[in-house]
Amino acid sequence: MRVQLLHLFWNESRKRRKKTSLITFAIAWGALSLLLMMSFGRGLSNAASVNFKGLSNTIIMVSRGQTSKPYQGLPRARRIHIHLEDLELLKRQIPGIVMISPEANNSHNISYRGKETNRSINGVYPCFGEMRSQIPEAGGRFINDLDQENARRVAFIGWSVAKELFGDGDPVGKDIRIERTPFTVVGVLKKKQQGSTYQGPDSETVYIPFSTFCQIDFQRFLDRIHIRPADPREALFMENQVRRVLGRKYRFADDDAYAVNFWNTIRDYETGAKIFKGIEIFLTIMGGLTMLIGAVGVTNLMYAIAKERTREIGIKMALGARRQHIVQQFFLETFAIFFKGTLWGALLAFDIVGLVNRIPIGYEDYGIKSYFMRPIFSFDILLIFLAVLCALVFVSGIFPALRASRQNPIVALRYE
Amino acid sequence: MIEFRNISKVYKMGEVEFVALKGVFITVQKGDFISIMGPSGSGKSTLMNIIGCLDTPTEGSYYLDGENVSGLTFDQLSTIRNRKVGFVFQNFNLLPYATAFENIELPMLFNGKKGSERKRRVDELLDMVGLSPWARHRPTEMSGGQQQRVAIARALAMDPPIILADEPTGNLDSKSGHEIMDIFSRLWNGGRTILMVTHDPAIASYSKSTIRLLDGAVQENGAAH
Repeated sequence: MRVQLLHLFWNESRKRRKKTSLITFAIAWGALSLLLMMSFGRGLSNAASVNFKGLSNTIIMVSRGQTSKPYQGLPRARRIHIHLEDLELLKRQIPGIVMISPEANNSHNISYRGKETNRSINGVYPCFGEMRSQIPEAGGRFINDLDQENARRVAFIGWSVAKELFGDGDPVGKDIRIERTPFTVVGVLKKKQQGSTYQGPDSETVYIPFSTFCQIDFQRFLDRIHIRPADPREALFMENQVRRVLGRKYRFADDDAYAVNFWNTIRDYETGAKIFKGIEIFLTIMGGLTMLIGAVGVTNLMYAIAKERTREIGIKMALGARRQHIVQQFFLETFAIFFKGTLWGALLAFDIVGLVNRIPIGYEDYGIKSYFMRPIFSFDILLIFLAVLCALVFVSGIFPALRASRQNPIVALRYE
Repeated sequence: MIEFRNISKVYKMGEVEFVALKGVFITVQKGDFISIMGPSGSGKSTLMNIIGCLDTPTEGSYYLDGENVSGLTFDQLSTIRNRKVGFVFQNFNLLPYATAFENIELPMLFNGKKGSERKRRVDELLDMVGLSPWARHRPTEMSGGQQQRVAIARALAMDPPIILADEPTGNLDSKSGHEIMDIFSRLWNGGRTILMVTHDPAIASYSKSTIRLLDGAVQENGAAH
């Protein structure tokens, strides 16, 4: 586009501000809708993802169950418990396991300098920390291999346990008592969103080495085993392998879905992600349709402008305007209306998203707020928005522009 | 410079055909000043439109500067209109929202001339038609005579060899009309070729010769004044 024609366009568009203001508003509204829909949709997906990851999206959890069908002469409804030695069996027989940890828990009295409470005490291996997103606050750590090897009396505590026993003080290095046995706090769980739990949120739990747990609370069975497969794409395959290995040992059918219970966080996460992606796409389409209504308005306006300016176009053609000059001018005008509307819409959308993100949400708040109040703008949202915008500018500009440029100059010059 | 060889123009309106020009032969030399006269519907405007490349003939060949332009595309004709022809209309046809300056620079915008060049040329033309103080005024703030002078300046912007004027004094009082004709005379003396449609014999008397049309055919060609 030549600078000279921009200059011409500017001269002409000055005259039409009033006529375009309503339609500019429609475009602003459309752009606002589209951006907010995309941003809130992405926020929703993201919140779901964060909440998922608060538990884990990389592991399979196995816990005890009850057989649902007879097998090899054994009746149905037999209880199947899992044991510590099953870990070795699974590791030996299934090569795709990269991490595995037992978990056993019980509710115990814990205290620090006169403050007392009852909390779930969980015995786990060090790799549990990584598998279950147990990230320590600065200055602390999760249970390590030496702790497990030497059955050290150390504890990693959730932040609400820390708050209850220590207030605002730093618990790391302090000794708490679990049923009168002293334990040194080695780390506090960093705050995180956790969308799902199996025995209460991690923030209210105390983790100690599994070896130590066995000394204070003897249990014959494990509550669950946590397994991380090397390849997350093989999550379902691994689930079936685990069922088969345990089935051979405890004698239940390969296809008995209730003999041991699985919580496959990898598959749940994938399914959830697809659902939320679907919602996101749906919202984007709704926003796009709102903007399309504005674009139809622009097309109408441009047709009206083309008609109103018939004579003017005739004059320009007589003075040597080529068809492309007329087309370019109409396109430029269409673009200008969109640009102005979009600018307003986008600024408002950015402001709204900024303001909504200032609304505080507690880490224990897993309600609707945590899903809907964290809209996000990202580069790909911007790209999608720009692509929609360009398509709409093109579609709403091309037909009026072509009609204007294809007029017969003689007829146009006679137009009253 | 302008040569019509057996030019015919037929307009079709549905089933009905209207013959606007039939078998017209015209030759215009460089530096001619010709009036085109004739009653309404005699084909004057069609003739002017074809000469000005706004329209194309149904039959025959039109040579402009030795080039056959009858078969050119719209954009090729646009370029010719821009460079070789300057139009002056009865109703001025200025863009109402643009100032005199902006109206005059319009043909140069379509040609991609630079800003400084445009400004120099527009100032020169405004000076020539005696409207330098009116550069920033819009057509609605000017008299008819002034508007027509702006239109003449605009027609001259690209320095075209041919000026086509369609009843340039038709909407003006006689004093303004004669002022306009004085400008045309000066342009003619400066070597430009001028073709002018008029009803007014007094205006026609400024020209060197006259072509008379009747029912789409040339009735009289070259009557000298």
